Amino acid sequence: MILYDYVLSASCYKVRLMAALLGTPLILRAVNFHPAREHKSPEMLALNPKGTLPILQDGETVLTDSADILRHLTMDHPEWRSPDDDRWLAFASDLNESLGLARLHDVIGYEADIDTARAAGVTALRKLEAHLTEQRFDGLIFLTGKAPTIADIACFPNTALAPDGGFSLDPYPSIRLWMRAVRSLPGFIEMPGIHRLHELAHPA
Amino acid sequence: MNTAIENHWYPVAMISGIDGPRETLLLGKKITLGRKDGTCWVKDATGKALPTVERFGHLWTSPGQPNRDLFTIPEADSPGRRLVDVGSVKVKCSPLRAVENFLDIAHFPFVHTDILGAEPHTEVDRYDVKIREEVDEVWATKVKFYQPQAAKSAAGGITTEYMYRVPAPTCSVLYKTCPPRPGEWDIITLFVQPLTDEWCEVWPWMALYDDESTMSEMVSFQQLIFMQDRSILENQIPRKLPLDPGMEVPTQADMTSVAYRRWLKKIGYTYGAQLVAA
Amino acid sequence: MSWIAVGLKKDVPPGIVIPSRLADTELAVWCAPSGSYHAWSDRCPHRGMRLSHGFVRGNTLACIYHGWQYNEAGSCDYIPAHPKLTPPDTICVPTYSCTEAGGVIWVSLEATDQPLPELGGRVPVRSVPIALSAENVAAHFGAGSAPTVAVVSDHDTVLALQPCTDTLTMAHVLASPDADPKAVSRWVEDLRATLEGVPA
Repeated sequence: MILYDYVLSASCYKVRLMAALLGTPLILRAVNFHPAREHKSPEMLALNPKGTLPILQDGETVLTDSADILRHLTMDHPEWRSPDDDRWLAFASDLNESLGLARLHDVIGYEADIDTARAAGVTALRKLEAHLTEQRFDGLIFLTGKAPTIADIACFPNTALAPDGGFSLDPYPSIRLWMRAVRSLPGFIEMPGIHRLHELAHPA
Repeated sequence: MNTAIENHWYPVAMISGIDGPRETLLLGKKITLGRKDGTCWVKDATGKALPTVERFGHLWTSPGQPNRDLFTIPEADSPGRRLVDVGSVKVKCSPLRAVENFLDIAHFPFVHTDILGAEPHTEVDRYDVKIREEVDEVWATKVKFYQPQAAKSAAGGITTEYMYRVPAPTCSVLYKTCPPRPGEWDIITLFVQPLTDEWCEVWPWMALYDDESTMSEMVSFQQLIFMQDRSILENQIPRKLPLDPGMEVPTQADMTSVAYRRWLKKIGYTYGAQLVAA
Repeated sequence: MSWIAVGLKKDVPPGIVIPSRLADTELAVWCAPSGSYHAWSDRCPHRGMRLSHGFVRGNTLACIYHGWQYNEAGSCDYIPAHPKLTPPDTICVPTYSCTEAGGVIWVSLEATDQPLPELGGRVPVRSVPIALSAENVAAHFGAGSAPTVAVVSDHDTVLALQPCTDTLTMAHVLASPDADPKAVSRWVEDLRATLEGVPA
């Protein structure tokens, strides 16, 4: 499987992270999204007329929606699926317009209605915090239950990278513990903006 | 008007990225830039044309009257190098904090884990630092560090040698062991545009020997490294760089940063600096 | 100066560090593997990095930037760049009084002999950010100035108020052990919506 990838994209990271957790090898093709806008080049548009990333190519199959890609990667891994995934995949997709957009604005100067994006981002974080808090009352740490599913992997990147876009995660204790649980999963890989859990390695 | 600050050259754009006229900030003041008939121009808020230099793939300007030419990097002109426009990243920190972080190797194992450094290889040996009075630049040489993946072109862990050069207050040039060509130096720069004294736009640029990697891969590698630094830079208190000793505690590994702070103070470069311990 | 709640024990288990703040004082609050809680100035003396971004390793809090480790007294006892060096005693982080009682983590910025606030056997439910000053939150309950702890009749709740900024208060919510935590959690969200003046 080939992933057309941009190293700083939260959506591409969803795919890299899911594959890493599954132990599924990916061939990464770096796309110069910034500054060269290579995702809008004729070669990339031929592959994905929407001109977006990520793009997953698996034989004849070409997928361009990160939720579809997560479903595709976990096709034979029912343990990574829950009946509640769909609403969280939709929630994760909406995060691109709030947390994700504010991040692109603050980091690489993307044009955005930043006040609207910030307000929507805070609303989304509060909703996530409320849900994860109720999960904890039931002894559950992940979005849909005791074990992580594609719902968690879809929502994790934009949430964990929210500080890049000027959001403070300080007031959300349940989000913090959930992120830590995701970061502690065997096979977890980080991306810039999300540090390694150094406490887990190399005691001095 | 502080000539010690205004009479320097500052990067304000990547030349290949200039399409139409664009506004940006330099030292807290609005400027406009663009390109006409293949030549770049910059104007201040009153419409006055500012001096320009096109070098290292970037457009440079100055709000003052620079009393010397923009620095050069002669090694970057040697044939066979690939010149890499990395693009820019905005960071909410003093431009001087961004440069100082670039001069630091001790953070590699914790911030660039398994790439530029890894525990237990954390020790920083003594190296040479000096302010070269004849050129008025800060230089650190014989800097050595073990790196799991020193560059996109590195196949595995190597002990990398570094030389750091600060040719201007908001710019640094790194000369680094070149994995495919031992004996040559890769050149990695950090050009920092001070938007304000607590907000900057960082333009990394590279001149590398690497015949294997695609341009996109080299850009990705450097963006990955710098974005790992960004989350540090936005969380240092204060955002400005303290120049007076006492507020922050250096060790021997920080000799380059100590020399950089001392040099800034000597030349009176106080933009983005904190002079009295809060 | 009295004790102020900065978090709930269940949200800061051993091995965790969190950022917190009391007005202008930014804090790194962490729990050692032994279970003891610490509230420190959120700033590594080396290069000013927030210690709340760091990590707990053994009985130390380490800075994420260069891995400097601080023991439970706040003294630096390991600098990875110089593993053979014994750091001088002068490298230390300002520390504040911090203790855990009733499932709540309490901090006092000054030495105090005041008793910890009485919680009447209530148990922690959750911590909620409210985008108002502590004075404005307190005014809703008819209190003149920001109280450390407000007793509210709904669900027999206690709100331990943490003044963070002019536009942020953390409300640490405690309720009777018999209360349904989800009902209390939803009640406090409605309360927040009322206070902030936006529809739930």
